[in-house]
Order: sequence, then structure tokens, then C-alpha cells
Amino acid sequence: MMEVVNFVINSLVFPGLLFASLVGLFYVGIDRKVTGHMQHRIGPPIWQEYLDVGKLLSKEDITPGAAQSFIFNIVPLVSLGAIVTVMLFLPVTSAQPALTSVADLIVIIYLLNIPAICVMLGGYSSGSPFGALGAGRHVVQLFSYEFVFILAIIAVVARVGSLSLGTVVDFQAQQGWLVLDWRLLPAVIAALIAAQGKLLRVPFDIPEAESEIVHGALTEYSGPKLAIWRLAYDIETIVVAGLLAALFFGGPTTYVIGGTQIPGIVDFLIKTLAIVLLATTLRNIMARLRIDQALKFYWSFAALLAIISLVLVLAVP
Amino acid sequence: MDSHEVAALIKKHVNDIRIVNDRCLFATSDKQRCGDVLLTLKGRGVTHISTITGVDRGDVVEVIYHFDCRPAQLNLKIPLPKDDLRILTITDFFPGAILYERDLMEMLGVKVEGHPDPRKLFLPDDWPEGEYPLRKEWREKSK
Amino acid sequence: MTFVVPIGPQHPALKEPEFFRFEVKGEEIVDVDIHLGYAHRGIEEALSRRNYKHNIYLSERICGICNVVHTTTYCQAVEQLAGVEPPERAKYIRAIIMELERIHSHLLWLGIAAHQIGFNTLFMLAWRDREYVMDLREMISGGRVHSATNTIGGVRRDVKTEHVPTILHGLEKLEQSTKYYINLFGSDRTILARCTNLGVLSKKDAIKFCAVGPLARASDVKTDIRRDDPYGAYDALSFNVVIEREGDVWAKGMVRLREILESIRIVRQALKEMPGGPIRTRVSLQIPPNETVERTEAPRGELFYYIRSNGTDTPERVRVRTPTYGNFASMKSMFVGGTVAEIPIVMWSIDPCFGCNDRVTLVDSRTDKTRVVSFDELRRWRK
Repeated sequence: MMEVVNFVINSLVFPGLLFASLVGLFYVGIDRKVTGHMQHRIGPPIWQEYLDVGKLLSKEDITPGAAQSFIFNIVPLVSLGAIVTVMLFLPVTSAQPALTSVADLIVIIYLLNIPAICVMLGGYSSGSPFGALGAGRHVVQLFSYEFVFILAIIAVVARVGSLSLGTVVDFQAQQGWLVLDWRLLPAVIAALIAAQGKLLRVPFDIPEAESEIVHGALTEYSGPKLAIWRLAYDIETIVVAGLLAALFFGGPTTYVIGGTQIPGIVDFLIKTLAIVLLATTLRNIMARLRIDQALKFYWSFAALLAIISLVLVLAVP
Repeated sequence: MDSHEVAALIKKHVNDIRIVNDRCLFATSDKQRCGDVLLTLKGRGVTHISTITGVDRGDVVEVIYHFDCRPAQLNLKIPLPKDDLRILTITDFFPGAILYERDLMEMLGVKVEGHPDPRKLFLPDDWPEGEYPLRKEWREKSK
Repeated sequence: MTFVVPIGPQHPALKEPEFFRFEVKGEEIVDVDIHLGYAHRGIEEALSRRNYKHNIYLSERICGICNVVHTTTYCQAVEQLAGVEPPERAKYIRAIIMELERIHSHLLWLGIAAHQIGFNTLFMLAWRDREYVMDLREMISGGRVHSATNTIGGVRRDVKTEHVPTILHGLEKLEQSTKYYINLFGSDRTILARCTNLGVLSKKDAIKFCAVGPLARASDVKTDIRRDDPYGAYDALSFNVVIEREGDVWAKGMVRLREILESIRIVRQALKEMPGGPIRTRVSLQIPPNETVERTEAPRGELFYYIRSNGTDTPERVRVRTPTYGNFASMKSMFVGGTVAEIPIVMWSIDPCFGCNDRVTLVDSRTDKTRVVSFDELRRWRK
């Protein structure tokens, strides 16, 4: 009985839906504010993202007549569910996540792909040429960044010798952060580049390039369904940042400063915020690439970095 | 070419020439000899047509081709009687005139023969036949 | 299998309503068809129903961005018809304001071009610097955008002596930032990746389709009405005609950016050499039957006016050929063979101004009807 209650609380409140959405929306708000300042504007208030999602949720729910309505309506929820589930596998307060399995990294990789696949299905089922084009680009983009992302994770797994994220964090607590290991440095860069593509940020915001294909796969979405997409996207931001933090930057650690114990959650928030801000900076200093250029970039440069790292980990003791 | 050179060049194909200044001249020709003027100009390396203007002058519609002879601007007028509003396309010599001729056709009802793409340009596709907005009679009607 | 991507009448890539049908195969464009007329206001006909004075303000409203060059062309044409010459000082003031307009138009272009390739930071910075020009224009003429400076026979407002240091200071700042943008445009990897070898207009095609302005100059065609057919004060001012050879989007941008530097030079020179004296002569506006053509170099290229007078205070016919209209013929050769991702930036590389373009006669009630047509088309593609 206790387990069931725990699971419900975990998935709905902490670190699941409520916590993830609050933090995710807040981070995207910070991202927008910082972007504003970088572009010499004032930018929206930090809580703007809450207002936006709230407004969208209160709007009329519309399904376009040309859409395959069942798939079109269900995919935002599937996507949100998948991304909140990843939250349960992430070490948020300590090395121990809310849910564990023997090989939770594999589960995380699978779950992180579900939103991208859902966006594709949503785009193709929306019956709009922009949606179809956006979905097509999403497929290509998924095939470009995913390979790099998985390679970077394999490099970590090879170094630590475990597929469990908890073990990876414990390993770093004893041996120091993996980013400080020179053999893994190329993998860190590759993973950051892949994360930029996963989160659809410039220069890899190609599937939703607004000046080309309006809003890509999500063009026909509006109202509450769009709000759920936004929520899923915002939570994905913190999930990907949290995963990178756990893989390379030591994950949540508890410190004792001046006799007070700082809980791991604070460390988690600081590290993820730093990663989000790094991504924000990257997206503000570049132009968008074309889909073929992005594909080439991932499969040549980024993949090469990850492979070098993997070879180094395996070959150099 | 300046105005005087252009005037000397096309003199035998036109009815009258009015030289405004070194860089601007007006000439009047007719439908039959229009092609000769174009050929002569093309032969001397004139490639740029600024635009085509149509002016409704009551019983005739004057089609004015504005050629850029660098630096002279040659304005070649071809008057067409209203009961026979037909003229040959010049897109064979000046492909840049393709949109101006479509404009001329829909706005003044001049039929440009041999035009590669004689659809409407600015007006909607369901615009009624025989209504030409820049004609004098249309103005009377729309008052 | 080809399918149609409708761009317009409302689309984020277009800043004004216009309709383009792109036939694409996967991501590759195989054909493009242009439907014009969504911003028709019937200005040519309206111009021939109002008197010469009213027409100054009407011609100013043909295009918001290049309004001064429109009124200058119109006023110069009417001055020619009436056989008067504006005072020298007025010519210089016109040149100054027209060059400030060119700077502002090109910076606006840079901003939106950056937005089209997803570089929003450059977009914001370019528009921040554009504010310097807008402030200068407001100081000189009283209007940020619509300056209402020109009148038949001269200008309405003088450039005061106390304005000159402020203008020079503003130009200083603009020169610095323009140099920075030129450097950035020529060296940033992502900009180069998105702009080079795209939407190429060969020199042959540029001549064949009568391209004008920066579009032609980027394809190695040395054409500039300010030099070929000098008007106003441009005879006495020295400047270079900027050309690039590549003919791609990058070259079109570079031509515009380097033209900003030339414009800054022209303004400085004009301020220095501006003679004193009156700024306006009186003109009788009962103009005898006559006709004239007038050409100027607008920011987007050759602007052409033909005016015929008939002895009254109203012109009989006014024909306006804006630069964008002149450049549409070249469009197909720039698009076909490219990809969907290139549409916005290639389209923007000709700096289209649809408000300018669609000025031929149309009754207002008809515009609604055209809109319905292409919404039907949109719906058909959604089914």
C-alpha cells in the first residue's frame, strides 16, 4: 500500500509532474529573460511562461477537421507522460532516483525519444502541409542527434561500467566529476551539442523554424493541447539538463557549509540552471542551420567527438 | 547612348521624336514598325526595359515602352485604336517585360499576342470579362 | 510526388500579405507561382483623381519604408512638368534625407534577414542601431518614418546648423556598428552556411529579367540611377557604386551593408558642401499639357514615375513602377532548384515591398473576394 502511495506522490508531486512543471516553466522563463537581455531588450517577466501556459489551458479546445483526431489528441498526453516518467528515473535529491531499475539509462534513452516521435505523429496527423514538413524534418533531426547522444552515454557507461544512473552518480562522488576526466571531455561537448538538437534550440530549431514552416509539426495545435506540448517541452528542458548533470557534472550532491546541510536538490537546481544558461547562450550567438547541414554536422563533427571519447575510454587505462 | 545618338539610331522607324534633354526623349511609332525599333535597340545592346505604361486617351490607348539606353531614357509610344487593341508581345526581345505586359492586359484591355503566360496578375481570377479599371469608361462607371 | 506549400497570404516569412505557391518535391522546390494583389489600394487611379498638392501625400503612402524617395521622384517629375528648378539647398536636403532613408531601409533588411535565418540576436541589434537613423530623421523632418519633407518646388523644413553636430555624431555611431555587421556578415560560420550559394541570380539572368537595385548590383551589374542618370544633388556628390560578383543571398546582403557606408559618406559630404539660400520656390500648379518620366534610385532599386499633365491642377495619368515590381521577374530563376528552408531568406534577399508593388487600381470590395479564393485553396490542401 505504502509503495502505491509513494509512487503516486512521486509521479504527480515530487519529482514528477508538479515539481517538474514548476521548475521547467521557471527555467524557460529565465531562458527567455536572459535571451531578452542578450538581445538588448527587456524581455518578458520570468513568470511569463506560467501565464502563457495558463492562458493556453483556458482556451477553447479545437481539433482541425482534416486531422486524424484520435492520434492528434492523444500524442500531447503521451509525450507529457513519457517525459514526466523520465523525471522519476533522474537523481534529483540524492544519487538514488525515485524509481530504479537495473539499466535505467536504457529506459531513459527510450523514454526521451517518445516526445520526438509524438511530435512527428502529431505533425503527420494534423493534415497540414506545414505539419507534414515539420514532422519530416523532426525525423531527420532525430536520426542526427540521437546517435551522438547515445554514443556519448555509452562512453560514460564504458568508463563507469554500469548502466544505472545511480551508480554513475556514486562513482562521481568518489572519483570526481566525469567532465574533469580528459578522456570524456569530447563526449561532454558532443552530448551538449546533441542536447541542443534535442531541445530544438538554435542552431538546431529546424523542425519548428517559424519563418519557414510556421510552427512545424505543432502548427495546427492550439489551446489546451498546445499548452500540454509546451509543458512537455519545458519539462524536457529540465530533464535533459538533469540527465547531463547526473552523467557528467556529479549529479545532486549534499554539501555541509558552516554546519548547515545543503540538500541535494539545491545542487541539482544550480547545475541544471547552469546547463540551461549555457544552452541559452549558444542559441543566441548563432543562426539556424539547414536540415542537411545539421545532419552533416552531427554525423561528422559531433559523432567524431563522441567516438574519440569512447575509443579513449576503452583504449587508455 | 545619349538622346541624340538614340534619335539618330531609330529615326527611320518612328514618326516623330521629341528630345527633352540629353538623357530623355520621347518617340512615337506604330504597331507595324515597333518590331524594327526593338530589333535596332537590341542590336545596340539595350537590355533594360523600365516598364510599360498604358494611357487611355479617349479613342486611342497609348502604350509607352520605357527603355533604358544608359544613360538616355527612350519612351517609345505606340498608339492603338480602341476598336483594335492588339499588339505583339516584346518578351521575345525583353523577357523582363513579362509582368508589365500582364499588367497592361488586365488594366487596359490591350491584347498582347503571343504572351507566354496571359493570366491575371493583380486582379482576382474571377474578375469579370471586359472590365478594365484604368480605362476612361470604367472611371465614369465607378463614380 | 510533388505537393504544394502555400506561402501566404498570411505567413510568418512574409511581412505583408502576398501569395506564393511553391511546388515542392520533398524539400526541393520545382516550381513557383506568384499571385499579387493582396495589398491593392488603387493608388495609380487615385493619383489621377487628386490634384498635384494632394498627390504628394498620396505618393508618400505608396510605401512606408521608402516614402521620401517616392515623394522626391513625384516632386521632381512635377517640377519638370512645370518647368521649375528647386533651389540648390533643397536638393541637398532631399539627398540627405534620402540617404538616411537608405541606411534605415538596409538596416531593416539586415534585421529581418537575420530573423529569417533564425539569428534573432542580430535582428534585435540591427534594429536597435536603426533607431539612431530614425532619431536623426525625426530631428530633421519631424517624422520618424513619414517625413513629409518634400513639396513641389523644394522642401518644407531646413536642416538647422545646430542639427549638424548631432547628425555627424549619429553617423559616427552608425559607421562603427555597420563596420561591425559587415565583419560579422562576412565571417560568422552559421551566416555563411545559410547565405552563400543560395538563390543565385546569374549576371545573365539579372540583365535578361531587367533586375534593378541591389539585386542587380549583387550579380555584378553596375547599375545605379544616382550615377547613370543623376538627379538632384547627386551630380555634385561623389560615391562608389557597390557591386559584388556572386549573385547569392550573401552578396545581396553585402551590397546593402556596404551601401550603408557609402550613404554615410554621401550625407557627410552633403552636410559639408550644402549651399545656403532658400529652400523652396513657388510653383503654379495649373500645368499645361505635357508628359515626363523621372527615375530615382530607391533603397530597393530603380523607382520610375511617368506623369502626364492636361492643363488642369490634376494629372491625367500617373504610372508608378516600384523596384520590387521590377524584380519579381527574376524570382523564379532564384528559387527553382532550391529547398524549402531557403524560401524565406531568398525571398527576403530581393527586399520585397508588397505595399509598393500592389499599387495599381482595384476596388476595395474586390480585395475581400481574392482573399476567399486562396483560403479555399488552403483548405483544399488541408483535406
